[in-house]
Amino acid sequence: MRRPLIALFTAVALLATAACGDSSDDGSAAPAASGKPDAVNAGVIAILDVAPIYLGKEKGFFSKRNIDLTLTTAQGGAAIVPAVLSGQYQFGFSNAVSLLLAKSNNAPLKVVCNGNNSTGAADDFAGLFVKPDSPIKSPKDLVGKTVAANTLKNIVDTSVRASVKKDGGDPSQVKFTELPFPEQVGALQAGRVDAIFVVEPFQQAAIAAGMRKIASSYVDAAPNLTVALYFTSTKLAGENPDLVKRFTEAMQESLAYADSHSDEVRDIIGTYTKIDPATRAKMTLPKWPADINRESIDALATAAVTDGLLKQKPDVAGLLP
Amino acid sequence: MVSVAARRPRVTGRRYRSVTLGALGLIGFGLVLEVAPRIGVVPIDFAPPTSQILVTLVGQLDDGSFWTALLHTLGTWAGGLAIAVVAGAVIGVLLGSLPILRAATTTTIEFLRPIPSVALIPLVIVLYGPTVRSTLILVVYAAFWQMLIQVVHGVADVDPVALDTARSFRLSPWARVRHVVWPSALPYVMTGLRLAAAVALILTITGELVIGSPGLGKEIDTAQQSNEVRLVYALIVVTGLLGVLINLVVRWGERRLLSWHPANRAEKGAA
Repeated sequence: MRRPLIALFTAVALLATAACGDSSDDGSAAPAASGKPDAVNAGVIAILDVAPIYLGKEKGFFSKRNIDLTLTTAQGGAAIVPAVLSGQYQFGFSNAVSLLLAKSNNAPLKVVCNGNNSTGAADDFAGLFVKPDSPIKSPKDLVGKTVAANTLKNIVDTSVRASVKKDGGDPSQVKFTELPFPEQVGALQAGRVDAIFVVEPFQQAAIAAGMRKIASSYVDAAPNLTVALYFTSTKLAGENPDLVKRFTEAMQESLAYADSHSDEVRDIIGTYTKIDPATRAKMTLPKWPADINRESIDALATAAVTDGLLKQKPDVAGLLP
Repeated sequence: MVSVAARRPRVTGRRYRSVTLGALGLIGFGLVLEVAPRIGVVPIDFAPPTSQILVTLVGQLDDGSFWTALLHTLGTWAGGLAIAVVAGAVIGVLLGSLPILRAATTTTIEFLRPIPSVALIPLVIVLYGPTVRSTLILVVYAAFWQMLIQVVHGVADVDPVALDTARSFRLSPWARVRHVVWPSALPYVMTGLRLAAAVALILTITGELVIGSPGLGKEIDTAQQSNEVRLVYALIVVTGLLGVLINLVVRWGERRLLSWHPANRAEKGAA
């Protein structure tokens, strides 16, 4: 009678050891003296913005610089920044405003290269949408209304306020409510919010649902806005500048390649997201210039102060390479 | 044993009826979810009908990443559960057998036990990043208490006369645990195991979903971020089925191990 119990426990315990086995040796970024490639772990978000790093890995831009790159998707910057600071990841991907806020809190972070930019044209990869029959005709009509943002006090509300300001409205009179991207189109249809700000592929969902685009807020925030960047900890930047240099070079090559091979980009997006091929073909892709648009980061830092996100302007020059 | 065997046909008949009723309930639930979006009670874009979810689910069966995710989830679940069950059983027997130790720890346990496992997420992310280890900690933390509390109660429920008899026969402490305490606590242990197994599955999926460690939860999140609504529901159906399966397996094990127990005998007798 007791033997089956013992068998059960043994089986479960064996499974346990199997499950724990692979989590012991985390990739460390020790200098490769023996010619062995550096194991590098980078934290990204499973969105189209990070397509270049996936493409660059596939094309061998990292391995030819002696970097053995592992990409891990995390749920947004909330997990990536602490994981980079604690050394779990050597590099991470985050939007510019999150990094500015972290910098103003003296988080020891250093940007290493550009992430992605708005297209700079009305047809951007993100947009501000209202219902087809909404009385809101342009961003200034949002005064006193509620806009859904995936994260509050971040790049989305900063950009939407820029749209309102540009259109002649008072940005401080716009209300924001936090709602994840997947829920926004439904919330707008149900009339729970007056406007939504969504990125691809949800922009396609909004268009398919007949919603009306009233602005491309990333475009309004600054010309050719740098939306997100790759960063590391100041510790790693100080200890292993050579690795950072090689990663930056590989990333710049990846960005340039992605910017000129949009078909390959649409294919690679299918490998790390579940976006269906029809939507992938229709989506507006971001721009991937190799260089950071410093003026646009400065404009975001100024806007963060104007909007009251920050008391004083963070040290932009100290954050950027 | 002979009497149990003699009763078996009736027991089986009863079980067939409950299985049939259970399946009918599930089919009815599926039908409601099929019809509701089609007649416009819920928006079809965000709550797809059952048939579309099932078609998507079948489509996943020849996708390698689905099976990898399923294995990851099962591995984290089994690993976390095993650690929690073993630790809960050992510590539970210790605390249950030594009243001083039990009195000294009760307050601490009652303080720690209600802390929701998910509240530890920021801590484990800083410690281990979005890894299996992080999720494993959540699973162990949640499942451990389910097991511990049951085992402590089970050990406390041991008949003191039987224990005294064992003492007067000069059974060693180990032999007393093995022959007196353990069999009498076993029903409690199995209840703890059943509760821990379900809680461990919930925390595994939650951890994958929120932390981003590999598994079905992470696939659900990726599908959500990709606006693949049908796939989100298809994967949720898989997690539900996993829950049912795990419960069936544990209940089956429980019936086999505890066939001698009055609770089981009474149930069969009433049939």
